[in-house]
Amino acid sequence: MQEIPLLEIQGLSVHYGGIQALQAIDLTIYPGEVVTLIGSNGAGKSTTLRAISRIVNAHQGQILYNHENITRRRPHEVVKLGIAHSPEGRRVLSRQTVLDNLELGAYTRSSRRSIQSDIEQQFRLFPRLAERKNQLAGTLSGGEQQMLAIARALMSRPKLLLLDEPSLGLAPTIVREIFTIIQNLRETGVTILLVEQNANLALQIADRGYVLETGCITLFNKASELLKDDRVRQAYLG
Amino acid sequence: MNLTVFLQNVLNGLSIGSIYAIFALGYTLVFSILGIINFAHGAVFTLGAYFTYMLMGNAFGFNGLLANLALPIRLPFVLALFFGSIAAGLVSVLIERLAFCPLRRKKADSLLTVVSSLGVAVVIVNLIQYLVGAEIYTFPPDTYGTLPPAINFGTEANPIPIRSVQVVIFVVSGVIVSLLTYLINATKYGKAMRAVAEDPTTASLLGIDPDRFIVLTFFVSGFLGGLAGTLVGSSVSIAGPYFGIGFGLKGLAVIVLGGLGSIPGAVVGGLTIGLVEAFVPGDYSAYKDAVAFGILFIMLLVRPQGLLGRSLVQKV
Repeated sequence: MQEIPLLEIQGLSVHYGGIQALQAIDLTIYPGEVVTLIGSNGAGKSTTLRAISRIVNAHQGQILYNHENITRRRPHEVVKLGIAHSPEGRRVLSRQTVLDNLELGAYTRSSRRSIQSDIEQQFRLFPRLAERKNQLAGTLSGGEQQMLAIARALMSRPKLLLLDEPSLGLAPTIVREIFTIIQNLRETGVTILLVEQNANLALQIADRGYVLETGCITLFNKASELLKDDRVRQAYLG
Repeated sequence: MNLTVFLQNVLNGLSIGSIYAIFALGYTLVFSILGIINFAHGAVFTLGAYFTYMLMGNAFGFNGLLANLALPIRLPFVLALFFGSIAAGLVSVLIERLAFCPLRRKKADSLLTVVSSLGVAVVIVNLIQYLVGAEIYTFPPDTYGTLPPAINFGTEANPIPIRSVQVVIFVVSGVIVSLLTYLINATKYGKAMRAVAEDPTTASLLGIDPDRFIVLTFFVSGFLGGLAGTLVGSSVSIAGPYFGIGFGLKGLAVIVLGGLGSIPGAVVGGLTIGLVEAFVPGDYSAYKDAVAFGILFIMLLVRPQGLLGRSLVQKV
């Protein structure tokens, strides 16, 4: 595979209060890959994403992005470097319209014209959002909010997209719709780190996968191999 | 009550009400971004009036450390008002950095921040007293230049004279409120500010630096407070260092009436209280404050989220 990683996490540990959420994890992502991080509730999947986008602090270890150490950067600076995070629970700005949410997704950019054409691009990708563009984001359904959260993250034109539990709480048909879109995204060249509880779906669209258990990475391999792995099948694929 | 008196009361009410509104907007902006009431806002109001007074080249009395001091510059009222309000905005930013920011960084309880802001208010009031004494300062009669003392809103046969100062206040406030509403709702930075108010963590994931917008909010809040202080101070007088404290409490009644954190609420609340007060009969004018707070109590019982506030019950 490619030799220069886009993201390289080395020995990353995170504590919340006295509780250790991540213990010295290593994780590498190469440009153009879709990598998934699977594991049960509370294993530290979201914490990993939150550490990369710098909304939680690393206590040990480092995060290298394009060879640059971003471990001490502030969250808004990381966005400028090309990392976008679609957070757990969607976190759309419920009191602003769909259009405003998308415009704010492009906060770090300045060219009005290219922002406008990207908004139209998102509407092609997510036609439901186009229908609701002047609606307050808080009035959207869960699936539509998830689409908005992903579209908003894409508005910063990220090189690395962090997706946290895009299937959470959604009906199976909507989940399939969203996963098809994620699968199509890779053709645009964006690198994706996908956190999912639905390991089966995630491994089907990913190139490689990491298994996280109580803050430690216990397994990593090609996604197709993990799908066949007995330990993964027993624990996560039921 | 005849029509002339009625219209006069309405215009008087709108005039004082629009000052309440811009003052209360300062409270509301900070509340919507940090979820706390900044009790130092009343002190910033007072400072704004003193700053403008100074920038116009007016001298202070004999009682304070700065006895008989006058600045070597004499700005016309409009410029002094502008720069005085900017100075008040900068003081407000300083208050944020010294009294709010350190507590926020330590994730302290919001009650502690409120107490801290009260402490700042007391310090500012005492500092003013120390520097310029406790006397009442009145702006000189030529403050408004060649503006006639009153404008007739009726006919020659049936005059409805209104003090022109009050017309100026109403116009200035209208312009400020419209401008602010536009900036907050229709510009990139206004939308970013509202994003920080709704969810600072998510805002930072979009590349917005929440800290910058908190500072900006305090600046705008202080600017509005200082502006209101000058408008009251120059149309009546600066009634000593405690000048802004009573006004500060009135501002609380306004935002609770209008709805905490709501910008249109601050405007509607301000105009409502101004109008109601204007219709308190002259014999009872000493009880105006009781009327304002009476409305507040009734509002809290009937509709605790205020006229235009969001429901207090959080939707899941």
